[in-house]
Amino acid sequence: MKKTFSVNLGNRVFSIDDDAYIRLKEYLDRIESYFSDEKEREDIISDIELRVSELFTERMGLNKQVITLRDVEEVIAIMGDPKEISGTEGQAGGNQSHDSHQRRTGPRRIYRDPDDRMIGGVCGGLAAYLGLDPVIVRILFILFLIFGIGLLVYIILWIVVPEARTTAQKLEMRGDTVNVSNIGNFVKEEFDNVKKSFSRKKK
Amino acid sequence: MDFENVKAQMRKGVLEFCILSILSKGDAYASDILNKLKESELIVVEGTLYPLLTRQKNAGLLSYRWEESTQGPPRKYYALTDNGREGLKELEVSWKALIEAVDSIMNK
Repeated sequence: MKKTFSVNLGNRVFSIDDDAYIRLKEYLDRIESYFSDEKEREDIISDIELRVSELFTERMGLNKQVITLRDVEEVIAIMGDPKEISGTEGQAGGNQSHDSHQRRTGPRRIYRDPDDRMIGGVCGGLAAYLGLDPVIVRILFILFLIFGIGLLVYIILWIVVPEARTTAQKLEMRGDTVNVSNIGNFVKEEFDNVKKSFSRKKK
Repeated sequence: MDFENVKAQMRKGVLEFCILSILSKGDAYASDILNKLKESELIVVEGTLYPLLTRQKNAGLLSYRWEESTQGPPRKYYALTDNGREGLKELEVSWKALIEAVDSIMNK
């Protein structure tokens, strides 16, 4: 059983599986990031969406009412790689901007990091907020501790700073925008981590 | 030497010319143009067409209008403008010159 979304693509409504939606959204976002001119980008994206909706319609019928991940992959293969679509002209600007452009655009918030904790997750959270390695933050804290005020500061932060409980909060902690595709990425990362630690334990 | 790249560049060079040429024979919507380009193997992935159409439109070579369709939502039909027709004439001249030049070199 899968959850589905309902999307409007080129003025047609489709039911689409959640994994297929995430893949398609990420694909369209990537194409978008290759075009810097706003007017041009809107036209191109709307034309491409129109064509994608045509290709989806060809696949639909009485026995098939939901767009699956496989449909999306097939359509992406027909439409082509975003880099290819943009041609070489757009490549110079597009390539560099596009990774940093897509993520790391949301406002950062400070949280305690429950996944990266020694005691209360204060240092882990601070490190995520500042974009530093948690080890560095911990060493600095221990230095503070030696000079006396560290313990008090730690306890105050532990009380004051909320713990990042939800996925959205964890993304905010890292400064990532909270949207469906980032949540998708994040959940996938978490899943991979669990898988890795599980297979390690098995060995 | 990477011949695939050379071939891709050649195709790309004539693609805009071919789009104008297709439209000179009658107005068409994106999927018509795509089918013709795919038949002649000028285009590998469909997505490459759309930025070209948009740029030609913004350069004043093409215009478009929406037309009702029996099989779904309205379609965007592209047509050549006067500028586009002139541009096409120019390209036709230089295309013929190019063919002659390449032929004369190959047959020497």
